[in-house]
Amino acid sequence: MSALVVAVLLPGLAGICLALARAVVSARGAAAAGAAVSVLSLICVVASWSARDGAYAGEVDHPWSTALGLHWHLGVDGISLPLVVMTILLCVLVCWSLAADVTSTTDDHEGAGVVLVALVLVIETASLGVFSALDLVLFFIFFELALIPMWFVIARWGDPGGRLAATRFLMFTVTGSALMLVGFVVIAVTAGTLQIPTLSDLPDPLTGTVPLLGGVAIAVGLAVKTPLWPLHIWLPDAHSKAPTVGSVLLAGVFLKLGTYGLLRVFVSVVPEPAARLAPYLGALAVAGIIASCLACLREHDLKRLIAYSSVGHMGFVVLAISTMSEVGVLAAVFASVAHGLITGLLFFNAGWLKQRYGSATFDALGRGLYTRVPRLGVVLLFAATASLGLPGLAGFWGEMLALRSAYEPSPALDRTLAWTLLTLAALGVVLTTAYFVRVVRRVLQGAATPRDDDIDLTRTEAGISAVLAVAIVLLGVAPGLLTGVIEPAVGAIVQVAP
Amino acid sequence: MIDWAAVTPALILASGAIAALLVTAFHATRTWRWPAIVSTVSLLAASAVAVATGSIDRLTLVLTLVVVLGTFMMVLAAGVMDHEESMPPGELHFLLLSSAAGGCCLVVARDLVTLVVALELLSLPSIALVGLRRSDLGAARAAWTFFLLSAVSTAVTVMGVSIVYGFAGNLAYDQVATALAGSTAPARAVGAAVLLTVVGLLFKAGAVPFHVWIPDTYRGASVPVAGYLSVVSKSAALGALLVVLTTALGPVRDDWAPVVAVVAAVTMTVGNLGALGQRDAVGMLAWSSIAQAGFILAPLVGLPGTAAVAAAVSYLVVYSLANLVAFTTVAICRRRWGGTTFAHLAGLARRDPGAGLCLAFALLVLAGFPPAVIGLLTKYVVLLPPVDSGYGWLAVVMALNVAFGLVYYLRLLATVLAPPSEEVATPPPSPSPPYTVRFARAAMIAATAALVAASVYPDLLLGVL
Repeated sequence: MSALVVAVLLPGLAGICLALARAVVSARGAAAAGAAVSVLSLICVVASWSARDGAYAGEVDHPWSTALGLHWHLGVDGISLPLVVMTILLCVLVCWSLAADVTSTTDDHEGAGVVLVALVLVIETASLGVFSALDLVLFFIFFELALIPMWFVIARWGDPGGRLAATRFLMFTVTGSALMLVGFVVIAVTAGTLQIPTLSDLPDPLTGTVPLLGGVAIAVGLAVKTPLWPLHIWLPDAHSKAPTVGSVLLAGVFLKLGTYGLLRVFVSVVPEPAARLAPYLGALAVAGIIASCLACLREHDLKRLIAYSSVGHMGFVVLAISTMSEVGVLAAVFASVAHGLITGLLFFNAGWLKQRYGSATFDALGRGLYTRVPRLGVVLLFAATASLGLPGLAGFWGEMLALRSAYEPSPALDRTLAWTLLTLAALGVVLTTAYFVRVVRRVLQGAATPRDDDIDLTRTEAGISAVLAVAIVLLGVAPGLLTGVIEPAVGAIVQVAP
Repeated sequence: MIDWAAVTPALILASGAIAALLVTAFHATRTWRWPAIVSTVSLLAASAVAVATGSIDRLTLVLTLVVVLGTFMMVLAAGVMDHEESMPPGELHFLLLSSAAGGCCLVVARDLVTLVVALELLSLPSIALVGLRRSDLGAARAAWTFFLLSAVSTAVTVMGVSIVYGFAGNLAYDQVATALAGSTAPARAVGAAVLLTVVGLLFKAGAVPFHVWIPDTYRGASVPVAGYLSVVSKSAALGALLVVLTTALGPVRDDWAPVVAVVAAVTMTVGNLGALGQRDAVGMLAWSSIAQAGFILAPLVGLPGTAAVAAAVSYLVVYSLANLVAFTTVAICRRRWGGTTFAHLAGLARRDPGAGLCLAFALLVLAGFPPAVIGLLTKYVVLLPPVDSGYGWLAVVMALNVAFGLVYYLRLLATVLAPPSEEVATPPPSPSPPYTVRFARAAMIAATAALVAASVYPDLLLGVL
């Protein structure tokens, strides 16, 4: 059995074991076990990556159902590896924060804390499966596997009203993914195979009306997940009502399932329909950037603001994808990873503030966090500047490369349109800066309004912040670490010019 | 000439039915054990014979096994009612087996008159089953509704059959097909006759607009009988419909395919809408079974392709297993906690982990969500024929309904996994479950195990045809 299969399945199996043994395991122990299992999984990924030969590391391809032509087909290439590593990293940090969470260790006779860890681990398996699946239906199975656990995380551990938000999140994504399944059926019927490497390498790519309709179905499904404006309306509530770990995973990992899907099962599998849809995707992406920035300028709740800012960042990713160029693919993967790390940190931070002050609205937070909780304030400042794309931090390269790809798009995107989109997206960068500066002024600076619950970073919080900050700085200073991994694999998504 | 391979299972069940009735008549006291033993023996014998002879073909064999083993499981589930004085055991087993014999005949019928007779043999005992509980006004009313609608639909079918006979001059499926293929009769008249013929089957299958009896009847009947109706009766009707449409009415496919597509789309939508408001497990499963019938009808637009047949049958098998599990758990829950509303089911997974987890898995299968991979794969399978034969809109409607259906399955799922509600957490009426409950649990676990196995090795079920 390949190490990759172990890496994918291990967290989920551990999660099931923990859930069954919740009567005898403490929440803290479960979280520690979850972190350990995730690290093991990371080791397996690294092992299979270093032993790679061929296009996909750790590739396994077993027929699973001959009746359907369904294969148990997993493999990791340069497009998926960065996302796989980011997912595992975030899951380790989430487990770490759960292990230190006082509220989940005391007053816990139902084993709820253990179940939360188990759900996180199942979500981890599902996401790793999506990032490494090379069979359309297998991809879909993993895509769906994450949804119900996430519903429980938001509905049971979220704020009051979380259940409604969770159900709305679920309905949007399930409707989208069901349409995506129809698209997969169309491809399976027209191309006669479900294997993504075969599909992306068809001698004569799928063209015509039927594949176009299939492509539309897939694009709509993934656009809900990404989310692409105007299908993003499930997102702010779900992200802000979710508990901290849920928000981190939703923003850090779940949105990437959509963008990764756009690369892996849309642009690479149906290139011709994708090229015809690219202008619409690009336009909606930029509309999302502008709309989310405007929403952020008026937002009074830190968690909702971060949620809206995610819509904008995903807009940059989709804009990059819609150029269908080599730089575009590079930008999409880079920006996805950078967003995962930065928004993960932002949501952790918002969660810590919310835990202290009971709510993440600006009024509840008060002013002058610099004075009241200096180290926490600095971390928030760091995350905000990373998110607005300060050069030298990871977020800069994501946005920079996305704009670069729009400057020189593939023939799929009309140059005039691309440059218009580029201009508007650049305006979005300015607006992003504006709203984060507003956050800094409103919450961090100003005359301090001291409160009893002003507690600075705990040791765990400092540790989590440090890990993410190091990763963000590292990618910002040495982007070649990541682009060097991505670049050789770009050919699997778009045609590479010789 | 008699095709013994086809009729033997039905004959065994019919004899078993009479034996089950007689054994109670000659028993001095009220006995549940003996008729149950007789039923078990005859059902197992019938399935063994079907497997040994292979029935007519692979399709009929699978359908026969669904009917026989589905009945077997409901016989085991019916055991949980052994403490109810108002439930006569002999009659219950007699009627279950008679009706199952009708189901066996229905799926092997290759002649329109046999079809009508088998349909009646399936229906009449099941009407009596619904109203079987003595001095239960609701049950009597449910049976009465069922009876009236059933009689009307059968009458319509008979009328259709007679018109088809007028066109074809024959009643055997293969000869009807030949005659219809070369018929000079006006296409519209033939189309009307064909539609009238399938009304009876659509009624039994619970397709819209012939679904109105289902919610009332399921709620009025005892839980195992509702399970029987939703699985055995429905499967037999859908199986027979599959055979009729492929063989006898194959040549006039263009007449019925659009109608089947519309009926399928409306059925799944209406079923899901109805299920949305339910706060009672049986009511929800009743409406959900209407919606599921729509998913089984949808691939029929791809007939006569073998992929369409395989798709419909594999969906049918998976649906049947999941529904059997769901109804068995609900029956056990009713016995142990006294009701089937969501309040009674709340926290079932904590109070009774076995039943709770089985029900949860069955619900995931019905919704088509991982980890119940087999449910998802069968949803994928039934999407293929509509897309392949140009009914893309139907595929989109199906996709939307998959999403829609998740709402109520998830609601029950969350209820089952939630902490138990206070008022039901009182000591259960039957603290140490008798052996009948244990048998029902064994059946429930075995069926769930089959679903889990099929999720790991999908070819176990998807490769049957």
